[in-house]
Amino acid sequence: MNRTILSVRGLHVCFFLRGRTLHALRGIDLDVYEGESLAIVGESGSGKSVLNKNFIGLLDQNGRITEGSIRYYGMYDKMKHNPAGGTDEEGRPYCDLAKIARREDWLRIRGSEICMIPQDPMTSLNPLKTIGWQISEALMLHHGMKGQMAKDETLHILEEVRIDHPEKRYHQYPHELSGGMRQRIVIAIAIACQPKILICDEPTTALDVTIQAQVLELLKELKSKYNLTIIFITHDLGVVASIADRVAVMYAGDIVEIGMAEEIFYEPRHPYTWALLSSLPQLGQRGEELYAIKGTPPNLFTEIQGDAFAARNPHALKIDHLEQPPYFDVSPTHRARTWLLDERAPKVEPPPALKKLRTLGGAVHD
Amino acid sequence: MTDHILEVRDLHVTFGHGAKRFEAVRGVSFDVRRGETFGIVGESGSGKTTIGRTVIRVNPATSGSIRYEGEEITGRISKELDRKIINKIQMIFQDPMASLNERAKISYIVSEGLQGRGIPKQEIEQRVTAALNEVGLLPEFASRFPHEFSGGQRQRIGIARALVMQPEFIIADEPISALDVSIRAQVLNLLSELQKKRGLTYLFISHDLSVMRFICDRIAVIHLGRIVELCETEELFRHPLHPYTRALLSAVPVPSPDYARTAKPLSYDPSIHDYSTDKPAWTEIVPGHFVLGNNKELDGYRKQMEK
Repeated sequence: MNRTILSVRGLHVCFFLRGRTLHALRGIDLDVYEGESLAIVGESGSGKSVLNKNFIGLLDQNGRITEGSIRYYGMYDKMKHNPAGGTDEEGRPYCDLAKIARREDWLRIRGSEICMIPQDPMTSLNPLKTIGWQISEALMLHHGMKGQMAKDETLHILEEVRIDHPEKRYHQYPHELSGGMRQRIVIAIAIACQPKILICDEPTTALDVTIQAQVLELLKELKSKYNLTIIFITHDLGVVASIADRVAVMYAGDIVEIGMAEEIFYEPRHPYTWALLSSLPQLGQRGEELYAIKGTPPNLFTEIQGDAFAARNPHALKIDHLEQPPYFDVSPTHRARTWLLDERAPKVEPPPALKKLRTLGGAVHD
Repeated sequence: MTDHILEVRDLHVTFGHGAKRFEAVRGVSFDVRRGETFGIVGESGSGKTTIGRTVIRVNPATSGSIRYEGEEITGRISKELDRKIINKIQMIFQDPMASLNERAKISYIVSEGLQGRGIPKQEIEQRVTAALNEVGLLPEFASRFPHEFSGGQRQRIGIARALVMQPEFIIADEPISALDVSIRAQVLNLLSELQKKRGLTYLFISHDLSVMRFICDRIAVIHLGRIVELCETEELFRHPLHPYTRALLSAVPVPSPDYARTAKPLSYDPSIHDYSTDKPAWTEIVPGHFVLGNNKELDGYRKQMEK
């Protein structure tokens, strides 16, 4: 297994809203390894975007980290004289992103170390500047390039993200390009910064399926070329299956299950993961009812007693309503937060329909 | 003889004039059978929404005909027929956040179509309550505003608004794309339950083929304003013929890592069609399976089907 590049421990994030406190993240533990692609899945409001905003210091004004640490191991000397820096038990230097307070410190991390591709390419580019200007801006800021050198590099990056006629595109504006092309430009800007971690927040939801497939291909290619670590936020399980090495399932501000992609898809253990997978239309039979999760996610303004999913869980045990389950290890790479894995728990089989996932194939064979 | 509720023949829809003239729908023909779910799938800009909007008379048709229960509904029609069509054909929109009037109460939003036609207030109230019940919302919600509801609930309100008119034919334009995975299942179930109970016919417009496969009886694949293939859902997934259909099907992400990692999506290049001398025709290649192609291509498709 590769080295850890990002290590989150006991992270709590709260938002303060008109005198009320919303507990958005409730004790996240997560390790991200160098060169892997980790997918974070969950419903809207599960906290997957909030978690990732912590990594680039873009939490909303009224949000605060109340507890926990985010150790980033990617920069070795830049943070030597910073209060956020330190060395861990094994002597590896790190930088605690949860402790960074100054804007200047964030500027050294954002972009050049950790970079984010936002969801909608229509709104994330500057409509008044040319494509070339927007990419070379990143090169000038992060690598101190100038003039012809910046232009050459920009053209090179445009080729890298498979944009045809880079010379022509260099002088074009975002509105002249299609959605898929624009998303490639956004990726180009991210790549220009040469980050170690690339956070992709639903980068393909706004795109058509055929374009989505191409963008995913591109991301995979760039990942192996630059040894990028990719954190992929999405609710589309089809996309997860094609890109992720590991998958973390989030529910109500907590990671309820994490494991290798095969483990999550083929041997899920948490009832929430079961429910999420069962509601896939691919597993449904036409004319029959599709499995749907009953109820709504819990209100995070109130404190959650026991397992957050208990109220919607048909397999809930008595203890689920009383005490939060710890993580149970299923394999060295797979763990889940459910009392069903306790040795005293009754044996509950996952829904039989999930077996179909193994045999799912594409519709077109050549 | 199958009972066609909607017949569309050689429909053209153009926008703009002169140099800006743009043909969004370029000669589309299809029939929708009573009680079925007919799907139109295509990418953005393919004209699928325009077809839906033309059927409900929001966009005027440039040429061609649309017949609802045998009656022509394009162009100028009588007031009576217009009123009948408004009742019988209803639409459910994509984004439940944008399609509800933020400043109106749910009771008004749902009942708006019934207002001003001399229906007693009491009856309107009853029908609103019934519609809300039917989509699984509490009648108390009638006095609330849209912002108090979640995305799934809002989509239910959108469905109630259509149901209150007691329609026969519902055009659902991407009704679940804006919703969360778990909510999608609920709304899909609701739609098929209502179909069974009321014998509704759906025209389901979407870009998501995995949802289409689950809900549609027949699917038409549309590309740049032309339907390139039309057949029963399972037939389409088993024997896709047109290269565009094949590319589209291969690009659908499959939620199974073993398969998804090795899958290579096909790409579609329209220049493979040589239509300079041999013009393409809309042909029924086996009963119920239509495809657009010229003679040479059709021969190829026939051979493919025999295999």
